[in-house]
Amino acid sequence: MSLQVEESIANEVRSFLGENLLEVKVPRPRRLYLKVKREDYKRAAKHMVEKMGLNHISTITAADAGQEIDVMAYLFGRGVEVMLKAAVPKMNPKIPSLTDIVPGVTFFEREAHDLFGVVFDGHPDLARFILPEDWPDGVYPLRKEYKVTRLKGPREVS
Amino acid sequence: MSLAVELLRNLVKSRATVLYPFKDREKVHVPEGLRGKLAFYRDRCIGCSMCFRVCPSETIEMTEDAKGKRPKFYLDRCTHCQQCEDVCPTRAIELTQKFENFGFDRKEMMLE
Amino acid sequence: MSAATIKVPVGPQHPALKEPENFTFHVEGENIVKVDVRVGYAHKGIEKLMESKTYLQNIPLVERICGICNTAHTVCYTQNVEYLYEKPIPRRAEYLRVLIEELNRIHSHLLWLGVVGHEVGFETLFMYVWRDREVVLDLIEALTGNRISMAFATVGGTRRDLTSTIEHKIRKGLDLLEERTKYYKRTVAVDPTILARSRDVGILTPEEAVQLCAVGPFRRASSIKEDVRADDPYAAHDEIPFNIIAYDTCDFYARIMVRVDETLESINMVRYCLDHIPSGPVRVRLPNTPPVAEAVSKVEAPRGENIHYVRSNGTDKPARYKVRAPTSANLAPLVQTMTSRGKYDVYVADIPVLLAGIDPCMCCMDRSVKFIDDSKGKKWVWTMEQLKRCMSKNVVRR
Repeated sequence: MSLQVEESIANEVRSFLGENLLEVKVPRPRRLYLKVKREDYKRAAKHMVEKMGLNHISTITAADAGQEIDVMAYLFGRGVEVMLKAAVPKMNPKIPSLTDIVPGVTFFEREAHDLFGVVFDGHPDLARFILPEDWPDGVYPLRKEYKVTRLKGPREVS
Repeated sequence: MSLAVELLRNLVKSRATVLYPFKDREKVHVPEGLRGKLAFYRDRCIGCSMCFRVCPSETIEMTEDAKGKRPKFYLDRCTHCQQCEDVCPTRAIELTQKFENFGFDRKEMMLE
Repeated sequence: MSAATIKVPVGPQHPALKEPENFTFHVEGENIVKVDVRVGYAHKGIEKLMESKTYLQNIPLVERICGICNTAHTVCYTQNVEYLYEKPIPRRAEYLRVLIEELNRIHSHLLWLGVVGHEVGFETLFMYVWRDREVVLDLIEALTGNRISMAFATVGGTRRDLTSTIEHKIRKGLDLLEERTKYYKRTVAVDPTILARSRDVGILTPEEAVQLCAVGPFRRASSIKEDVRADDPYAAHDEIPFNIIAYDTCDFYARIMVRVDETLESINMVRYCLDHIPSGPVRVRLPNTPPVAEAVSKVEAPRGENIHYVRSNGTDKPARYKVRAPTSANLAPLVQTMTSRGKYDVYVADIPVLLAGIDPCMCCMDRSVKFIDDSKGKKWVWTMEQLKRCMSKNVVRR
């Protein structure tokens, strides 16, 4: 099956960003995975939402990749789901927020901040969203350093 | 207004509930293929541990007995997903149609 | 906000809420002017737990993210893992997945219609609709072995097959359900109680729905015709015809009618599936370890667009799994519908009705990380989730 729509979207982004578009993958129909640098993340997202018609953002999330954290935004439009990935260093996980482009992503960014510690510059209110108020600061549960431990207590049949 | 017709129709219908467990115990409809309580056939088990690897809730623990390796089941952890029955190569595990999965002692919840 | 603003907290335990969440409403008189949301009361730690279990062990865990939309999560998960392998599954399995999904949708919408009756004060409708919901639960039990946790889809296809006795039962059940759903549609569309509490209540304009990323029937009730089954077809949806239902009154009444009409569409889709299902195997065996890749999969759950992301690192356990359930995307537009703005006034009495309007499934939404660490001390507030969960146990695989 032809992948024309996906290729044309990738070409438009490439002509907008030039060499700063680091990676392009089209693994199957209606999926396009792009990787950009941290500085171009907001510019690329703004161009895709406002000029290219991909105006629905499904979610914003993050993943721990060793020394870096990958921040991913999923945009949908023209029948294609585009994943926009940008890597931020774990020591300084700051990235611009997309709330002024699409206001509906406030809760997604709050959740990523709570669980990974990614700081979204320009977000109106990065308060606690999911973790309780007495959770210690600086402890981010979904990073790989935070390990699962077994519950202590009676489990065996005596 | 249209619900008044429904109301009158329901007034003449018989009772929908069954007085389980005091009487009408056999009237409870148990469909075929219900995922109920576990049953284990020791003579068919070959000790391959596939069930242990597939169980999501640590119901199964492998132990040894006179014949070799075999699983032991903690029935109160079982989620009745039937994955152990799917992967068992000799059909030694079966999920029966018994839906009454209770006991008054914790020892009854262990299937040896 | 003037000094006359009063803050009214609703939740986490409240008779108007089906599941725990905390809303703080700032009210002036009867008008709501601002809403603060605080979620996280039904945390189960599923995303972190999935990183310590294998792909096959994760299937029952994903199913228990939500009780009502369990098929959506299972089908999305198994699809995602199959995308990693890049192997197609048998066509019959795809039709069976659509069958079970649409039965789940019928069940979920009938349950919701009863909840609407309960929130509006129309208890009779609640009782009658839940009685008819038993029909679809019996069909699901005959097909899969359990009423709610279906455990039907697996990595590589489905686990059980459709026999002719079950097919006959499903057809009879569908005829009954269609007649009853049409009866409820006639009743609900003209009933004065429901109309008084749903007409022009909780307006969300189409521009706001797009900007705030609303999904599912909530979006379609604001006259936007988008549906994952049509825009991004998965399983057998590229061959099964259906109509996208959208209403343009943008209020709670539209949300009710969208879901009732979707139930009728689902009944037709199940009939089409039964008529056109191909023969063949239902499962293909895949190896334990997928290649190193990442994949995104989307499914239309009864509440909206459900999107999952997986990343594999060459072992038999996933490196990262992200679940974005539809209710978490609907929270932002929900806050917007509950705030008085411009010419739209929202009153305190509308709160339960508006909360029911998004079909909230807080347990779907709260499945992100939460941990019980025995080194943390005793004042831990999570015992409520321990009651809700039945699978999330923090274990280290031996």
